[in-house]
Amino acid sequence: MSIQREKVIPAKYIPDVGSYVEKIDGKDYLITNDAMHTFYRRSKGELSPFFLGLRDEKKLFGCRCTKCGLVRVPPFLTHCPDCNFAPTELVEVEQVGVMNSTPPITYFATSLFQHMAPYGRGRVIFQGADTALSVNLYTTTGILVPGIIKKGTEVKLVFRDNRIGEMTDVFCVPTAELSKEQIEKKGLQESEINWESPVEPELPAASQEDTAMYNKALAEMKSIIEEMNTNERARKDIAGWKRDILVKTRGGEFAIIIDDGDIKLEEEAPSSPDFVMVCDDPNILLDGLAYRGAITDSVINKKLWISKNMEFNTIFKLDRMARSVARSKKA
Amino acid sequence: MSKRVGIVGAGVTPFKSAWREKTYYELAQMATREAVKDAGIPIQDVDAAFYGIYNDIFERTAIPEHAIHGLLGMQNKFGIRITTGGATGAYTISAAHAYLSAGRFKTALVLGVEKATDCFDFSSMSATPEVIKTIGWSGDSFFEQPIGWSAADSYAEVVLAYMDEHPGDLKPEITAQISSLLSQQVKNNEYAQRQFDQVSPEEVMNSRLVVYPFKELEICVYTEGAAALILAEEETAKAISKNNGTPVVWITGVGEANEHSFAGKNQKDMSRIMSDYYASHRAYEMAGIADPTQSIDIVELHDAFVHQLEISMAEFGLVPLGKADTLIEDGLMTPGGKYLVNPCGGLIYCGHAVGASNIMSAWSARNELIKRKLKTALVHGTGSTVAQYTACQVLEHE
Repeated sequence: MSIQREKVIPAKYIPDVGSYVEKIDGKDYLITNDAMHTFYRRSKGELSPFFLGLRDEKKLFGCRCTKCGLVRVPPFLTHCPDCNFAPTELVEVEQVGVMNSTPPITYFATSLFQHMAPYGRGRVIFQGADTALSVNLYTTTGILVPGIIKKGTEVKLVFRDNRIGEMTDVFCVPTAELSKEQIEKKGLQESEINWESPVEPELPAASQEDTAMYNKALAEMKSIIEEMNTNERARKDIAGWKRDILVKTRGGEFAIIIDDGDIKLEEEAPSSPDFVMVCDDPNILLDGLAYRGAITDSVINKKLWISKNMEFNTIFKLDRMARSVARSKKA
Repeated sequence: MSKRVGIVGAGVTPFKSAWREKTYYELAQMATREAVKDAGIPIQDVDAAFYGIYNDIFERTAIPEHAIHGLLGMQNKFGIRITTGGATGAYTISAAHAYLSAGRFKTALVLGVEKATDCFDFSSMSATPEVIKTIGWSGDSFFEQPIGWSAADSYAEVVLAYMDEHPGDLKPEITAQISSLLSQQVKNNEYAQRQFDQVSPEEVMNSRLVVYPFKELEICVYTEGAAALILAEEETAKAISKNNGTPVVWITGVGEANEHSFAGKNQKDMSRIMSDYYASHRAYEMAGIADPTQSIDIVELHDAFVHQLEISMAEFGLVPLGKADTLIEDGLMTPGGKYLVNPCGGLIYCGHAVGASNIMSAWSARNELIKRKLKTALVHGTGSTVAQYTACQVLEHE
């Protein structure tokens, strides 16, 4: 659960100075690596008490209008616009609340949040507040899937162990996953919660039938991946991308090797894979590669396990390649 | 008394996923050249320019319009840029309408242009995560940007809250059918990014989740391109029309509304898109439309997401709230149905070149009204966090 603090702009996002030529219809076009970057020493201004409350006191503050009594969390106002700008006062609210509505779950994140995906973000009305605070949502039970957190679900505010005075200092988990003591404790920290850690699923021994099914699926996957490798649109989907993937299924193991536009299936396991994919039934992966369903959804639905969440990126690329081949056939 | 304002010319560039061959300077001029050619007037006869450009970071410059003003032949004339998120194009039309209606100018250029996929994420070696990051800078910078706000997750919040209130509506098989239908309609739009990307409802259902509950084939695509309109006040419009032989399509109603961007008591009701409700009904009122179900023939709707298309149609009063699936179940938007919705393929299939998108929608609505000899169209743009902004126009063909 912990967020690793890095530079304001992590090095992996920063390209080298350079340029290249892209040829379109016989003409050359110059493409240059570039960035538009601005650094800040930005004040939290009137919001400082709120963020200092999160960082130093592990408290959640709102503002109450001295005229209408409405309590807004976050306290982004010193004066109430509904009461002709009557002054507001800072008040502390509880650290348990309910979901204002069912929260979305992001699987395909922006480049800044790929390390966090899949993640939920939703709005919580904390006890004592009238308005909703936007927070990240997690489950202690692994990947967040639809149905765990819904409108009205009671959630608890949890503080990260390392806090810097940003909204990333806190998140919420369902109270149903916590003990009474944890729910009642103000300033509960992430390290005080038991997080289920991902464990590679064990596969049962293969029967003769399983092996036969595996061999059939493997042959089909090999053929599909060979087709992907000759498809210009699909090759573009993995330009600049390199991954050695170990795939484990009930019938056997193999490798998918992605190498900057090239993709191939090898029947031998790679010596040092970048990540591991486990699916009991090899047809789950076959269907995804054949564009008969998304591999992404198989991960979400726990039919296919990946050893690193960050590799959702690679899964998206495989889904994209399947669609690219399908699109090329239509065109 | 305010003056009538009409569309006398329109043009678009091809909408493409990437225009390596052009900068936004050239895209802006391409659409402008097409629009004045369509109007049959020289650019020197255009009094003012209204620029719809959404995001400085896409164009990689602040005040992106300054560079194109002279390149479009507008030197020493009025020029103003509008930027209101996804609703930029529709708001730009509203702004130009207000100036012409007030008598400040006789003619105006409404130009939308956007580059998007110059943005590139070097960590995943693909453009899309960087494009959505760039849009992500539009979220609230203190409370929401740091925790992963994105355009898709913010619209998903609204859609899921609507589904909390109306659990039987927005069924997956219906959203899949709508996406498939739009992919058929786009076949007639030779400027579209996905003219030949027809998909079956099954393909939509099978496409991967991007942000729950949105699937990949239910979401608009990022696009580069430009769109332009030439607007004129009544007397000038009639004179131009007489010369070029193309009927004037009048803007008889305009309406806009921006909601609160935070939810809760006295703030945003997450289960509604009240901006769509207020903007459309203000436009109806101005156009003298008492019952939109009896008046509206064509809807060119900003379909950022199929689910939002359905909710927007309900907020427009064209189907009941909670029964938006009747758009398909009762055949309201299927071929031959009561409403022609997004004949251009919408932003999902024609493409979403943000500042240009709603202007492309107006281009399509105007063309379809004339071509099909229909009377009334509604043009719509939605944008900002949680569908906060809307601008609408009623177009009428006499």
